[in-house]
Amino acid sequence: MRTRVLVPAAGAAAAYGGVVADAFVRGSSVRPELAAGAGLGALLLVVALARGGVILGAALGVAGATYVGATVAAGGNVDATAPLVGVLLLLCGELAAWSLDERLPIRSDESLAWHRGAAVGALALAGLTAAALVIALAAAPPGRGLAWTLAGAVAAVGAAGSGIWLARR
Amino acid sequence: MTRFTSSRLPAYAALAAGGLVAGLALGRVEPVALAAPFVLAVLAGAALGREPRVSARLSLDRERALEGDELTASIDLSSADGAARLELVVPLPGELRAVGDLAHAVRLRPGEERTIELRLQCRRWGALSLGPLLVRGRDVLGFRSWEGELGEPRLLRVYPSEETLLSLVPPLETQVFAGNQVSRARGEGIEFADLRPWQPGDRVRRVNWRASALRGEIWVNEQHPERNTDVVLFLDTFAEVRAQGRGTLDRAVRAAATLAHGYLQRKDKVGLVGFGGSLSWLLPQTGQRQLYAIVDTLLTSGIVRSFALRDVDVLPPRTLPPKALVLALTPLLDDRTAAVLLDLRARGYDLIVVEVSTLELLAPEPGSSLELAHRLWQLSREALRWRYEQLGVPVVTWREDVPLAAPLEEVNSFRHLARPA
Repeated sequence: MRTRVLVPAAGAAAAYGGVVADAFVRGSSVRPELAAGAGLGALLLVVALARGGVILGAALGVAGATYVGATVAAGGNVDATAPLVGVLLLLCGELAAWSLDERLPIRSDESLAWHRGAAVGALALAGLTAAALVIALAAAPPGRGLAWTLAGAVAAVGAAGSGIWLARR
Repeated sequence: MTRFTSSRLPAYAALAAGGLVAGLALGRVEPVALAAPFVLAVLAGAALGREPRVSARLSLDRERALEGDELTASIDLSSADGAARLELVVPLPGELRAVGDLAHAVRLRPGEERTIELRLQCRRWGALSLGPLLVRGRDVLGFRSWEGELGEPRLLRVYPSEETLLSLVPPLETQVFAGNQVSRARGEGIEFADLRPWQPGDRVRRVNWRASALRGEIWVNEQHPERNTDVVLFLDTFAEVRAQGRGTLDRAVRAAATLAHGYLQRKDKVGLVGFGGSLSWLLPQTGQRQLYAIVDTLLTSGIVRSFALRDVDVLPPRTLPPKALVLALTPLLDDRTAAVLLDLRARGYDLIVVEVSTLELLAPEPGSSLELAHRLWQLSREALRWRYEQLGVPVVTWREDVPLAAPLEEVNSFRHLARPA
């Protein structure tokens, strides 16, 4: 039981540490401010790991804001590690939630852990691909023409449709 | 089933929205890249959210058990569509305890059938209802869950454990039917009673030739006939003392089941009166069927708080047949029971009071201010016992650490010393 709780919790903490480390590497000029943000985020994560609830979202938000603050302070080119940071944030949330779920005194099948691990891995991989695609698209030179207009329209309709579908479910 | 959404899903949606807004506001792509995995997670959560269609059946390996027995409950699960994660728990009444894990989480593939077995231990007697199952289905990432109840409840009767009794208290009076109890009257029987001179109509086989030879005239043997008796078990359900999972009613019910079994084995008629806030009774009958009826009635007995005044008149007349032995099992906590028992004695019933001891459950802390109150209370109970004894009613205290046979032997000793009218 303890292993099933501690291993995902340690994974969540490691993912959070990765995000903060990336922010510190990039935002060397604003390290005191980043340290304050990282500390607050870490505190929220610890509370979230202990008690669960919406605090987990706040912890992820603070960590994300710390990273964005670092990139803004650093300025310059697009950070190519941003997809990795996004996936680490997602992994932090998923692993923390997994750790919280395992606290319930339930006798689980061994296959459930593998199944969930595979699902989290697949989600992370898909997230990494999507984020990398965003970065790659941002690096592409802006184009014009019917194809780009159609692609933009499809994306807008797709986003709106997804929102409506989600709201109705 | 009721659907629930994890707090992560709106949090992820908010993070995604925040990232996109921040990207627009700051004119940078990194926040959008951060938001992209969360957008995907929200979409995955919405796509995976499908209510699991599961059927479950709870069954027990037997419907009757004794206190202390272990039994197996089986949960048969099946799902046509499958379930990524299914958590289930059987809510147990306090009388049952799970041996091992009570809650289980399983994964069901489409069309798969699974059976989960639970070991349960019966801690206390009672007519128990097990189930329905509490089920929670979750998607593989735990974004959405569905909670509900499945399966039909199962009934389980846990019978009180019985004590070993070497002898029972014989009633003072017997009835007219044949039984195993040697009557005090004289007639046809096996046990020798006395000699008397021959009278016309006496059988030759009853002649005592040795006594006749000594006396010079014909003398015959007289025997005690074997008769049955009527026994009424009087269970006081007005009040009980309960502490640390133990209660006086539990022991009284065990004693009643033991005595009913013992007397019915002797071919006596046994009846039951549950006297308390809720009245229950069984007319005295004999046989195995009566034993089951008594035990089933005992299983449903419980303390029902009531302030209504009750006396013997509320009982149907045939419940208390004349010359019946009334065995009262009571903690002597309620004045109404005490008064009714005195009333029964005044009506000529052969009454025995087995006081289920409360001292082990109510002992005050040494040195506390409650000690004095406890002593006064004990004195008042002593005075009540003395009142019964003055009327020729044996009152024996049955302590928790003593078998039931001990107080019953005390009754026999009391009866040797004092023969009530």
